[in-house]
Amino acid sequence: MIELKNLTKNYGKLVAVDALDLQVPAGELFGFLGPNGAGKTTTIRMMAGLLKPTAGEIYIDGASVLREPEKAKQVCGFIPDRPFVYSKLTGREFMRFCGGLYDVPPQEIEPAIEGLTKLFHMDDYADELIESYSHGMKQRLVMAAALIHRPRVIIVDEPMVGLDPRGAKLVKRIFRELCDHGITIFMSIHTLEVAEEMCDRIGIIQEGSLIAAGTMAELKQQIGDSDGRLESIFFKLTGDEDMQEVISALRL
Amino acid sequence: MLSHTSLFYPRLAQMVNRVRRGGRRGNTRALIVGTVGLVFWAAIFTGFYRVLQYFNSVPVFGSVLAAKLLSMALLTFFSILIFSTVIAAISSFFMSEELQLLVASPFDLDELYFVKLCETLLTSSWMVLLFSLPVFVAYGVVFEQTVVYYVVMITCLVPFLLIAVVIGIAIALCLVKNFPAQRLKDVLFLFTLFLIIGLYVLFRTLKPERLVDPDAFFTVIDYLTSLEAPTSAYLPSQWLADILGVFLFGQNASGLVFNLLLMWSTAAALVFLLNLFFNRIFFVAWSKSQESRPARATRFALFDCLVGLLTKPFSARMRVVIDKDFRTFFRDTAQWSQLFLLSAIIGIYLYNFRVLPLDKSPIPTEQLRTIFSFLNMGLAGFVISAVAVRFAYPSISLEGLSFWIIRSSPMGLRGLLWCKFWVNFVFLALLSVILTVCSNYFLRVETYMMVLSTLTVLFMTFGLTSLSVGFGAMYPRFRYENVAQIPNGFGGLMYMMSSVMFVGAIVVLEALPVHLLVTSAFQNRALSSMEWFGIGISFALILLVGAIVSVVPMKAGLRRLEQMETL
Repeated sequence: MIELKNLTKNYGKLVAVDALDLQVPAGELFGFLGPNGAGKTTTIRMMAGLLKPTAGEIYIDGASVLREPEKAKQVCGFIPDRPFVYSKLTGREFMRFCGGLYDVPPQEIEPAIEGLTKLFHMDDYADELIESYSHGMKQRLVMAAALIHRPRVIIVDEPMVGLDPRGAKLVKRIFRELCDHGITIFMSIHTLEVAEEMCDRIGIIQEGSLIAAGTMAELKQQIGDSDGRLESIFFKLTGDEDMQEVISALRL
Repeated sequence: MLSHTSLFYPRLAQMVNRVRRGGRRGNTRALIVGTVGLVFWAAIFTGFYRVLQYFNSVPVFGSVLAAKLLSMALLTFFSILIFSTVIAAISSFFMSEELQLLVASPFDLDELYFVKLCETLLTSSWMVLLFSLPVFVAYGVVFEQTVVYYVVMITCLVPFLLIAVVIGIAIALCLVKNFPAQRLKDVLFLFTLFLIIGLYVLFRTLKPERLVDPDAFFTVIDYLTSLEAPTSAYLPSQWLADILGVFLFGQNASGLVFNLLLMWSTAAALVFLLNLFFNRIFFVAWSKSQESRPARATRFALFDCLVGLLTKPFSARMRVVIDKDFRTFFRDTAQWSQLFLLSAIIGIYLYNFRVLPLDKSPIPTEQLRTIFSFLNMGLAGFVISAVAVRFAYPSISLEGLSFWIIRSSPMGLRGLLWCKFWVNFVFLALLSVILTVCSNYFLRVETYMMVLSTLTVLFMTFGLTSLSVGFGAMYPRFRYENVAQIPNGFGGLMYMMSSVMFVGAIVVLEALPVHLLVTSAFQNRALSSMEWFGIGISFALILLVGAIVSVVPMKAGLRRLEQMETL
């Protein structure tokens, strides 16, 4: 469903993403991990069509994001890490706007808005201007709007930022159910516990290169630590093993 | 050397980095902006120089008029500075992003005050300084002053600016302590706009053109001399006028030192008192500025119906973008309030044509009407380009940080750009038809001239819309505090220069056909084949220029948006 081929992005001399090859099959929840500045957001922004790759290809449901952007974007829902939205629209108007952008038939938009408003518990404030929303409320709105056209692929950057525990639990449940219904989710995330709990497969990127990818079992096998949690796998692979000692010291 | 902990340090470091990274492109921009600034400066100087020379040639009344003009100009600068400071201070003292970090840290309140005072002084006074310096220099040149005048003038300008800025900041602190900052900014913006419109209308109704009408001259002199200019001994602008008057008009010098000391001591005392006031009030006002109320959206069934009707010819995707733009426009005070300014411009523009004394001219009325109608095409073009810089130029930038929504959707950037183009074109075309048809009606021109000028202005509007939307896309400004800031940059300047050239080119190219048509009608003869050929060539060139201006900026804007990688 998602295919990255030799995906490369350079900023001048800096190689942000280096010949990334990756395939994510339909219905899978793929977690994309990496230290700060590893190239996660750059990869995600290229997949969403916000950045042009220096080299390589991105296919979403068989359509090239570079050569057939409209076709690829039509089946895709994008949720960015920072929910900047039109502050002078209401939540409901914003969802209606997004439905229109994705050519959702008018008769289907209103029922879809009703359903999503309920699903994301936004009934109380859907008719207020977005300028009065908190970060978490905007995050929920952006997620709801990304689902309005029933995308087959969802690309999401740091979905848990700004969400309260209730909201985070809700999002985890919704994402899991979407994958169970055949929707593919490509998600970058920093919270290792959440990634371990939610994702079918995990990819770890460092300095622009994919250094590991697979299920938890495959990752454990790769580093030869059958009992390890994702946190220790992550630190071993990214060369930050000392970090665990520091974290333990800080906890004391 | 500044320490790294000084609040001045990040500002200086950012400035140095900006200059370093600017490179050749930055230098070119600085050169263009500098040149335009100089031209502007020279124009103000020339205007004042000619007016003052004219006053100077009038015996007895001349120096009285010049002194009156100086005190009125200083009072205007002083009041504008206070207003602009109030708006700038609300942003600088309460809404800048660094404050979240600073207020949470053990910062020194006195240092913050001093940094913010300097910042506000710079941001709010540079424009007034730019406008006022050529005025002072023109006075100096016309009244043949030595270097002493210029030294005194600069010495006095510093406390003059400081006094106005300190008063402005004090007003801003009091206002924010009592009202939410965001709403306050909107209200103040609206208020300033009304003030500008009021001044504009007042100036127009004073009929300054009567100054060049010998019949009305004495009544104007009487009017101006009897005018009790709203100046007072307690106003710093009057202190400055009195100081400069000693040099310029040989007024009584006994109060010179007193006024100089008064200006400096008042400025120093106000800076000190504001520091005490700031230390006392800042945290309460800052806390208040962080509060916000839930904002309710206004909804009108008629509005929805109207938008639905207007957007019917467009595709579904374009429809939702236009609908979104309309809603945002009418809910944002900073945007819709500019319509008042637009109405004032149209009103005054048409009023000018209504009161034109055509019958008094020695040129035959019919010919004069046609000449005015022809010149009116250029004038209307300039008005349209000025309106477009306020409404069409910012249309892409108005997507703001939400631009990712459109970029990640199946709606292409080409579609977005044309969507912005058509909405703005319809609006500007309507305005251009109103301007041209009404002014031609007041001029009572022949039908062919009415048709020709309306079609020409519509044609220019098409090109101007493309220029404004295209340049707006080439130089987008997605991070802005107020929509009025968007055109105040390099891109806005480039657009204005290009639009002036475009309107000028069309007017020049159309001069030949209009001249031939008018003279043949006047002489009551048919046009020769050579003349028809000339007319044909002119119109072909007009079409060519129009086609280039309609296509190139849009293409360049689209390319720039497609290549843009960061927001």
